[in-house]
Amino acid sequence: MERLLDLALSAILLAGLYATMAYGLGLIYGTLRVVNLAHGGVIMAGAYLGWTLHEGFGVDPYLTIPVVAVAAFGLGVLMYQLLVRRLPRGPAGGPASLLLLFGVWLVLRNIAYLIFTGNDQTIRTAYSSRSLAILGSHVSVNRLVVLGIAVVIAVAMHVLLKHTQLGRAIRAVAQNADSCTLVGIDVNRIYTLTFGIGSALAGVAGVLLATLFSFSPNAGASELLKSFVVVVLGGLGSVFGISVAALIVATAEVFAILILPSYLTTAVGFLLLVLVLILRPGGLFGYRVLS
Amino acid sequence: MSLRPPPVIPRTAGIVFAAACVALGVVPVVLDLSAYAHNQLTFLFITIAGALAWNWMGGFVGQISFGHAAMFGIGAFVAGRVSLNLHLPVPLSWLAGAVVAGVFAIGAHPLLKLRGPYFSIATIGVGEAARVVFTYWEGFTGGSSGLSLPIDGDLKYQLYWWALGFAALVAAASVVIRRSSFGLKLLAIKADADAAADVGISAPFYQDLVFVLSGAVVGLSGALYASFQSFIEPADMFGFDRSIGFVLTAVIGGVGTALGPVLGAIVFVVVKLYLLDSHPELHLGLYGMLLILVILFEPLGLAGLFRRVVRRLRPARGGGS
Repeated sequence: MERLLDLALSAILLAGLYATMAYGLGLIYGTLRVVNLAHGGVIMAGAYLGWTLHEGFGVDPYLTIPVVAVAAFGLGVLMYQLLVRRLPRGPAGGPASLLLLFGVWLVLRNIAYLIFTGNDQTIRTAYSSRSLAILGSHVSVNRLVVLGIAVVIAVAMHVLLKHTQLGRAIRAVAQNADSCTLVGIDVNRIYTLTFGIGSALAGVAGVLLATLFSFSPNAGASELLKSFVVVVLGGLGSVFGISVAALIVATAEVFAILILPSYLTTAVGFLLLVLVLILRPGGLFGYRVLS
Repeated sequence: MSLRPPPVIPRTAGIVFAAACVALGVVPVVLDLSAYAHNQLTFLFITIAGALAWNWMGGFVGQISFGHAAMFGIGAFVAGRVSLNLHLPVPLSWLAGAVVAGVFAIGAHPLLKLRGPYFSIATIGVGEAARVVFTYWEGFTGGSSGLSLPIDGDLKYQLYWWALGFAALVAAASVVIRRSSFGLKLLAIKADADAAADVGISAPFYQDLVFVLSGAVVGLSGALYASFQSFIEPADMFGFDRSIGFVLTAVIGGVGTALGPVLGAIVFVVVKLYLLDSHPELHLGLYGMLLILVILFEPLGLAGLFRRVVRRLRPARGGGS
């Protein structure tokens, strides 16, 4: 029983990270209908930037978040303006945008190799090993902070999308870009900002990831997959949906320890992805699924 | 109603192709190639076959797979196990590898209902799951210590012609598929699966068929590669970088064209030869850049570039495109 409670707690703590990873992918896909295959690469880049600021300048990893967010926002804007904007929209651009952003991921990976080598890195702070007792189980302070930040980001996303002019414009463009031009929304500007915001979220997720787990330039594939499962499960309409989906995915992963041998738990995320894609009928219709 | 796709490749190309195969067939005997060159060409043929088979799925049907390493690895390890444990002749073990890889591809049937990015990302999932499972299945793959496949020197030398014949067959099959009504159906599915269904082309059936064929051929190339290397390791054979390799060779060469992947494979092997040894840290980024340039400026890759050059050199024959 106590073990179950432990597992449930760690699932909740993990869900915050997963939700933060997924918002960016979902936002970009929902608005531009482009799956950002470079998502995992941006997460990895965010992790490295946070790590560099921490190691090189002694900044607390959580205080690097604003810097990383701005840098990743810039990267996203560049990716859109230089590359994605040049592709045809709609189904014709589908495979092209996948491959293009996949190329960006490879380049990001290679840059990280060149600068940081292929070694695993972790962010360690004075409070990394500290833990609090909650309901009789020990919870690492780091994980709590990550969950707290994830909640703040969720609330900020909700406010942005539902209660600001920009958010309304983003949602309008997601619904029908052509009509938006008619009412005077600069669709290209919205796309650019969306790509920037989505990348900024991925960068922040990278910092959160780096405070909990070790990472290397190879990181990104499983982050991309998990984000995608969460987005497919949760839909794009609401921050709430994505948060719930993140909790489901984290729970499935954490509780798999009970039934599967430990080495197979890494495969759970991948299997879950395939199952979700196959079983969720909406997934059968490709592009239309999340509209 | 007879619909004929426009001739993708001029008739003379058939003769050139046959001549090239014969020339490559006699080169080792006539020129007395070094063992090094002999091996690199063998590797090139295996790479060509794999890239062409990926292109059947990724180019002809338009379903980009990031998980072909699963079939590559399965072909390799099944072939290895069959020749090690059952002591069957090596060529038979290759065939076993191809069959099992094809059967595994049938298992992907539920995935094929997915289209576009959903399919692509699901294949990353399948590929990674296969990597994890096979890396830990030590009884079958040898785990992290891998599998050594004793291969006698004669066969290792003959592998050149096996691989050449294999690559030539797959290339011929690519052209035939591209120019047949079967290829047209695949094109229709690629353009719009729903509309294809309206005119009686069942996307699930044809995709299954192509995926099984593609998987079996990639499995066979994995099996040949296993004999070529005589040592295989699951983390490498099932690795994400292998899956990426298929995508890169085919797309840089010319996704969806009949023979573009051949060009892509040549570039891939040459880059591997000259860059991977001297600057191993650069090669992924270089491919990434190439991929970006191809998508932005020449979606048909090297094949498109080649076609453009040919057209410019022969303006008199222009007109029909």
